Amino acid sequence: MSIPAGYAGNVLIINLDNEKTEILPIDKFWANYGIDPKQWLGGDGVITKILWEDFSTAIEPFSPENEIIIATGPWTATAAPQSGRAMLGCIDPKTGGFGSGSFGWFFPSMLKYAGFDIAIIKGKAKKPIYVFIDDRKVSFRDASHIWGKETGETVRMIREELEERYEGEIRVLSTSVAGEHLVKYSPPCSDGTTCPGRSGAGAVMGSKNLKAIAVRGTGEVSLFDPRGLLESSYNAVKTFVDNEPFIKLWREHGATTSLGTTMDWPISGAMLVENRKEADFPHLKNVGCLDCPNPCYHWLQIKEGKYSGLRHLGGHMTFLTVCLRNLGIQEFGEWIHYERLLQELGLDPASFSMAYSWAVDCFERGILTLDDTEGITLKRGDAEIICEMARRIAYRQGKLGNLLADGVAEASQKIGKGSEMIAPHVKGKEYIQRDVKIQALMWSLGALTSPRGGDWLRHHNVWELAFQPEKRDSYPKFLGKTCAEVYEESLKLLDMPDELKKKIFGDSQKVDMEWIGDIKGKALFSVWTENLVALFNSLVTCMFGSATMFLMVGFGPTTYSEILNKITGWDTSYDELMRIGERVFNLQRLFNYRIKGWDHKDDTFADKRAYEPAQMGIFKGKVVPWDEVLQEYYSIRGWSSDGIPTRAKIDELGLGDVTKKLNLPEGD
Amino acid sequence: MDEEKVIVFDPHYCSGCMYCMTACSTYNNGATSLSKSRIHIVRHEGHAITKMTDEDDLIFDVITCQQCDQPYCLYLCPVLAVERDNETGALMINQDKCVGCRMCMVGCPFGVILYDLNRKQVVKCELCGGDPQCVRFCASGALQFLPKNLAHLQKRDRLARKMIQLRSKASEEEPI
Repeated sequence: MSIPAGYAGNVLIINLDNEKTEILPIDKFWANYGIDPKQWLGGDGVITKILWEDFSTAIEPFSPENEIIIATGPWTATAAPQSGRAMLGCIDPKTGGFGSGSFGWFFPSMLKYAGFDIAIIKGKAKKPIYVFIDDRKVSFRDASHIWGKETGETVRMIREELEERYEGEIRVLSTSVAGEHLVKYSPPCSDGTTCPGRSGAGAVMGSKNLKAIAVRGTGEVSLFDPRGLLESSYNAVKTFVDNEPFIKLWREHGATTSLGTTMDWPISGAMLVENRKEADFPHLKNVGCLDCPNPCYHWLQIKEGKYSGLRHLGGHMTFLTVCLRNLGIQEFGEWIHYERLLQELGLDPASFSMAYSWAVDCFERGILTLDDTEGITLKRGDAEIICEMARRIAYRQGKLGNLLADGVAEASQKIGKGSEMIAPHVKGKEYIQRDVKIQALMWSLGALTSPRGGDWLRHHNVWELAFQPEKRDSYPKFLGKTCAEVYEESLKLLDMPDELKKKIFGDSQKVDMEWIGDIKGKALFSVWTENLVALFNSLVTCMFGSATMFLMVGFGPTTYSEILNKITGWDTSYDELMRIGERVFNLQRLFNYRIKGWDHKDDTFADKRAYEPAQMGIFKGKVVPWDEVLQEYYSIRGWSSDGIPTRAKIDELGLGDVTKKLNLPEGD
Repeated sequence: MDEEKVIVFDPHYCSGCMYCMTACSTYNNGATSLSKSRIHIVRHEGHAITKMTDEDDLIFDVITCQQCDQPYCLYLCPVLAVERDNETGALMINQDKCVGCRMCMVGCPFGVILYDLNRKQVVKCELCGGDPQCVRFCASGALQFLPKNLAHLQKRDRLARKMIQLRSKASEEEPI
């Protein structure tokens, strides 16, 4: 097999046990793992395949056996839009199943410029070390003096030691104190900026005594049709910028601004936008990863109050969501401080905030007592207590800190007393919205079916939320268009065949309340969205390309195939790319089924309140028909009613060989 | 030649995405890289390398050929390989003449002439034949391609507006 253009050409396998490395040409590696790049691309595709081949039974995630896989894709580090991303995979310490997360900034492209598409880290070092990938030269360095340092200091010390020749030449992916203390939801962080947030890989790095991976890449990535790639990329960005309904607002204010328009926020969109106009919101500029035309980072500075002078690159949706909704922190200065703190400590904001929020519930119900909390009165809205708990968790200090460091699933199992029935997780992983039954159906369904356990980033489709009646007044104000106009535009922009659109949305091209409040078409739309997400996570590119405001109307498979073909010289089509997404998603499902036995019985919310009638929202007064939707979803996916991919589906996806030892339902 | 255009950078708008660099290397080298780009984004990512309590900053700046009117690179070249393009005003390296002596690199006050190890010759920004790809791909508007005599306008206007804002705020309290 020859190596297609667009790939750096090598795989780096690092064994920490004996501090040895192996560099394999990627075609040889592909052959070893039975990977056809046209079927798996890179990123999540190859991570899934590697995990599948390397782990046929469950392992203890903190054992040296676990692997950290950093996988770029053919898209990464080229001149395609949003090419700064890679995926990082491992066995997830929280669920014991498939784990991966997307991250960006400049580490992924630097790895590729160093000549590596994939880096796999195995084993466990005897003492704290970090690895330096200096183009093709790889060295192991002592990290005992850096162990215990938080994110920013770690990056600075490593860059200084390695004597980078200009700032940002060396990129550092590091774990922080939470990872060192094996907090099960600790992600690594790259250059204090970007984290594969939900992977738990920071703790896996901690378990391997691996403080950081530093990389300097001075090479280049070959392309099949460089000028063609530039033209296609330019046109794609132009179309995106000219048409995407939210892009203007987004580009003026960054990721969080337009949330008020489409989502049900406790803080109204008006406040968000107008605060910024008055410069009360300490936003200085938008900042992006490599080749990003619609940057999501805010460069923030707190001007007044307790944290005056603190600057931070962030302002991300997840932080804002959990701060406002789950933690009750209302003041901007407080939540920026909180965001920076979590990044410094290495804590996943979603899992941490849900753990804290759940602990408050338990405290209020008397399940946790002052004795358990060591005298702290747990409550929402008090940023000081919340930040103190974040520190205690990161260092596993005290009873409660240690308890919550394992996440709500384990913590609730330990303390019992009914706390399991209010624990917001699926398959051991926390999801961010608290009350799934008042949320949009598709968003919640995504938490049930995500291969990472309770999660929203493998689906994140907000069509129902965005067009609810109570949001409609905000559209003319912020977008200069009515809600109905935006709906129609979005429907046109949605990159899917007309036939499929008709199946999902029916005949109506208008905002259809009946559709929004019904389960009709939702399972089908969910399947399509999940496949699309699996696709761009395999390319690898950013979710904000296809889903700026989670309407999936940005870059679609048509654009992806046009640009990918210019990079690689292939002739992939829309259908082939969507099929890749489907293949990857199915193998992730099978992986979890094989090692964890996850099937229909596990596609449930641990928080039993999800199965009560909703007090408000689309399903007001009704119980959400979860099972009905799930069964429809399984049937569309070609899975059995137990939620297991059937032999027929598997053969159709070309996975027959890899799964032949597995006992699967036949299907038709 | 007042109409000669040059690349103008306004750090206020730069998002640090470096699309300018990947577009440059892709267009000029046929492969994407940062190291071989003829335009370079200088970065200071204070947030990434400090403790929470430290003061820090996030700054992007750009370094690329200014297409000088009095070009040291051209004066220093012993084989007259640096030539001015009559159409675009760009300073070009004539690859048939360049002997790889790197004297132009010594002369350039900005360090923007690169040495290509494969070709054993120097390379520099030649304005992509009059349609610089860095400017074309700059989505934030930080890079512009403007006539030399208008290069100052955007920055001056932005600053002037800020001054007006400050004055009007101050005049609410006491007349200036």
